[in-house]
Amino acid sequence: METILSVEKIEKYYGNKGKKGNITKAMDDISFQVKEGEFVGIMGPSGSGKTTLLNCISTIDHVTTGKIIINGQDVTGLKKKALETFRRDELGFIFQDFNLLDTLTAYENIALALTIQKRGETEIDSMIQKVAEKLGITEILGNYPFQLSGGQKQRVASARAIVTEPSLILADEPTGALDSKSSNMLLESFEKLNQEFGSTILMVTHDSFTASYANRILFIKDGRIFNELVRGNDTRKQFFNKIIEVVALLGGDVGNVL
Amino acid sequence: MFSKIAINNVKRSFRDYAIYFLTLTLGVCIFYSFNSIESQGAIQEFSKSPDFKLSMQLSLAAASVFVSFVLGGLVIFANNFLIKKRKKELGIYMTLGMPKGKISQILIFESLLIGVLSLAAGLGLGVLVSQSLSIVTSSILSVNVDTFEFVFSPDAMWKSILYFGVIFVVVMLFNQFTVSKYKLIDLLNAAKKNENVKLKNPFTSFLLFLFSGALLGFAYSRALKDGLNASNPDLVLTIVLGVAGTLFFFFSLSSFFVQLVQRNKRVYFKGINIFVLRQLNNKINTNFFSMTVMCLLLFLTITLIFTSFDLKGTIDETTVTDAPFDASAFLFVDEESENPAEIEIEAYLNEIDFAFDAPAEHAFYSEYELDMTTVELLAAHLSGQEKLGMQADYMDNAITAVKAADYNEMQRIKGQDPVQLGEDEVLIVSNFHETNDALTSFLDGGDKVMLQGREYAVKNSAPIEENLKINGYSNFFHLILPDSFDGELRLIHTGFNVVYDEAAREEAEETFSDLFYAMDRDEFRGISPALVIGATLDQENNRAVGAMAIIVFLGLFMGLIFIISSATVMALQQLSDASDSLERYRSLRKIGVTEKMINGAILKQCLIYFLVPLSLAIVHSIVGISSIEQIMQFHYESILFSILPLVLIYSGYFYATYAGVKNIVKSN
Repeated sequence: METILSVEKIEKYYGNKGKKGNITKAMDDISFQVKEGEFVGIMGPSGSGKTTLLNCISTIDHVTTGKIIINGQDVTGLKKKALETFRRDELGFIFQDFNLLDTLTAYENIALALTIQKRGETEIDSMIQKVAEKLGITEILGNYPFQLSGGQKQRVASARAIVTEPSLILADEPTGALDSKSSNMLLESFEKLNQEFGSTILMVTHDSFTASYANRILFIKDGRIFNELVRGNDTRKQFFNKIIEVVALLGGDVGNVL
Repeated sequence: MFSKIAINNVKRSFRDYAIYFLTLTLGVCIFYSFNSIESQGAIQEFSKSPDFKLSMQLSLAAASVFVSFVLGGLVIFANNFLIKKRKKELGIYMTLGMPKGKISQILIFESLLIGVLSLAAGLGLGVLVSQSLSIVTSSILSVNVDTFEFVFSPDAMWKSILYFGVIFVVVMLFNQFTVSKYKLIDLLNAAKKNENVKLKNPFTSFLLFLFSGALLGFAYSRALKDGLNASNPDLVLTIVLGVAGTLFFFFSLSSFFVQLVQRNKRVYFKGINIFVLRQLNNKINTNFFSMTVMCLLLFLTITLIFTSFDLKGTIDETTVTDAPFDASAFLFVDEESENPAEIEIEAYLNEIDFAFDAPAEHAFYSEYELDMTTVELLAAHLSGQEKLGMQADYMDNAITAVKAADYNEMQRIKGQDPVQLGEDEVLIVSNFHETNDALTSFLDGGDKVMLQGREYAVKNSAPIEENLKINGYSNFFHLILPDSFDGELRLIHTGFNVVYDEAAREEAEETFSDLFYAMDRDEFRGISPALVIGATLDQENNRAVGAMAIIVFLGLFMGLIFIISSATVMALQQLSDASDSLERYRSLRKIGVTEKMINGAILKQCLIYFLVPLSLAIVHSIVGISSIEQIMQFHYESILFSILPLVLIYSGYFYATYAGVKNIVKSN
C-alpha cells in the first residue's frame, strides 16, 4: 500500500518567540503515516491540538518545524498559489457546519467543486450523478440546503468532498451537528466510501461512537500523540469499548491520581 | 468617556463610514456650489436684469428644498445601513448594562462627529468646485470673465449649514427612535438571522418578463408617437406604463436570467459562475425595488442633463448675432383713445421726456393689419397637415404691413439702399419658407396678392429675411406696401428701430437699455397709460440665455444629486449584501476557491449590479430623449457634456464599492 500522508516531527508554536514564557506549544513532535485506503480517526479532548493538526495537514495553517508529505509532495514548502491548487486538487473537506452555500441547490454545491477545477461541462453532470448515487442523494439534488435535514446536508457536503476524487478526505467533526440517526447514516456512508470505493479518510472527532467507525485511531493530548488503537479484526462494538477505555484514561489525569 | 467611545467607533469603522461620509460630503459640496452661483462674476453681470435675478433665486430655493428632501432620505438610508451593521455591537453595550439613553448618546455623538466633519469637508470641496463652476457658468452664459476672481458665498455657506443641520437633527431623532425599538435578543442574534430565499416559479417569472417587455414596448411606442409633451394628459399613462414595466422587469429578470444561463452549460459550469449567478439571483429577488428606483433615477439624470445641455445648444443657435437693429420698441395702439401719446410712439416719447440724443440713428414706422391671414394668402399651396401645423405654431395670424416710406427709413439707418415699389407691387418680408414649402412655391408660381379687390404683384422672388423689429415673434410675415396704397388699413403698432454708432456702442446701449428697463418696471405708467415694449439686442439675447441658464443649472444640480443618490443606494446595498454573504465567501475559501476567483466573482457581481440598471436607464433615456427631440432640436455635442460627469461619478462609486466589498470579504 502506498503512503498517502506522512507527518514527520511537526511542531507548532503560537505566540511571540522573542519574549520568554510567552510561547504556547500547540503541537509537539507529532509523527504518523496514513496509507492509501485507510480510515483514520484522530481523537482528543478540547485544546489537545487536533484541530491545529488538521488545519496544518489541510494547508490552511503552517507548521513551525517538520514536514507534511501528501501524495509525495511536501506541502510545508509550497508557495501560496501552489497551495491553493494543491488544496483544490488533492484534498476533499467535510466540515462540522457543512459549509454548503445556502443560495445554491445541492446539485450546484457539488458542481462548484468541479467547476473550480476547470472541468469540462460535459463530464460534470455525469460525475455528479455518479457520486449522488453512491451517497443516496439523487432525489434531493434539486433542493436548497434549507430544505434538507442535517444528515442530508452532510451527505451533500461529503459528495462535494469526494466528487473531485481527492487523494485524501479530511473530515472535521463531521457528526458534530447531527442527531444520532443522521450520524449513523453518515458514518455508514463513510464506511462504504472507504471500503467499496477505497477513499482515504482522515477524521477528527471527540465522539467515541463516531471514532469507532475508523480502522485506526490516534489519540492526542497536549499536542502530543498519546496512544494509538488499531481495529484489526475487532467488531465495532469491541473496538468501541477499547476506545472508551483510552478516553477514560485521557480524560482523567493519571498524574493527579498518583 | 462616551465621547471617547464614539470617537474610537468612528475611527475603527471608518471603512463602513466611508460611503456615508462620501455621500454627505458630495451632497454638501454640490449644494454649496449651486447655491453660490448667485455670487459668481458671470451671474453678477447678468443680475442687472431684475427678472433674471428673481427667477434664479426662486428656482434655486425651490430646487434646494426638493434636493434637501432627497438628500435627507438618502442620509437616513445610509445611516440605517450603518446601524444595521452594528446591531451586535449595540447589543454588547446593552448586555454590559449600558442604558439605551447612553447608547443613543453615543450614536448622537457619532453622527455629530461625522456630520461636522463632512460638512466642513463638503464646504471646503464646494468652495473649490464653485471656482471651476464659475468657468462653466461664464461659458454657458457666453460672458467673458477676464479676471479670475476667488468666489466665496457666505449666504450659500449658511444655507448649506442650515439645511444639513436640519437633516442631521432628523437623522439623530431617527436613530433615537430605532434604538428604543430594538430588543436585546434581536441585536445579539442579528448576524445569525438567515435571509429568506424567495423562490419563484420559473414559468411565471418568464411570463412576467415577457409582460414587462410588452409594457415597456408599449410605453416606448407611446412616448415616441406622442412625444413627452407635458401638456398632453396621456403622458401620465405612458409614465405609469414605463414605471410598472421597469418594476416587473427587475422583478422577473433574475429568475429569467438564471434559467437562461443554466441552459448554457459552458457559461454555467465555468469557474464559480454558479455562485455569482445565485448571488445575483438572491440579491435581485430581494432588491428589485431599489434597482427599479435606481434605474428610474439614472434615467431622470441622463435625460435631465442631456436635455438641459441640448437646450443650451438650441438657444445658442437661435440667439441673434446679426440682427438688423441694435434696439427696437413698439407701442400697442389703443383704438379707442384720442390721446396721441397712446397712438403715436413719437408723442409717447415726448410725453415721458425721452430725446434721441444718444449716438445712434433711429427710424419710426407704423405697422398695419390687413383683413387677411397668412394661411388664407398661402391657402393654394398648403396641404391640410401644413395648415394644422401653422395653426399649432401660431403662424396663422392676420398679415401685417408697413408702407414703403417707413421701410426705406429702416433701410437708411441700416445703411442699405431704399426699395422702389410700383403702384401695383408689394414686397414680402418673412421667414415662413423655413417651416414649409408653401411660401416658396407661392413666390415661384408668380401668384398675385389680392388686397381689397386689387391685384398686386410680388416684387421679390425670394422673401426678405430681416424682421422689422428685433423683439417680435420668431416667425414673421409682413408685406411692404406702396405709399400710394389707399385701401383700408388698421393701425396696430407704432414703433422705432435704432442702430448705434459703431464708435459709441456702449453709451447708446446704456441709454436704451435704461429706457427699456424703466418701461419694464412700469415707471411711466403714471405719465402715460400706453403699453410700450422695447428691448436692445443685448437684452433680448440675455433673456434667452438667462432662461436657458436657469434650466441648465437646475438640470445639472438635480441630475448630480440624483446620480449621487442612486449610486449611494447601490453602493450601500452592495456592501450590506457583502457582509451578509461573508459566510458564503468563507465556505468558498474552504472548498479551495482561490482569492483570484473570489475577486473575480466580486467584480462580476458589482459590474452586473451597476450595469444592469444603467443599461435599462440608457435605453429609457434614448427613447425619452428622442421623444423630446420632437420638441427641441438635437445637438450631439451635448452627449459629451452630459455623459462625462455621469461616467466620472458613477465609475467612482463603482470602484469605491468594488474595493469596499473586496475589503469586507478579505478582512474575514
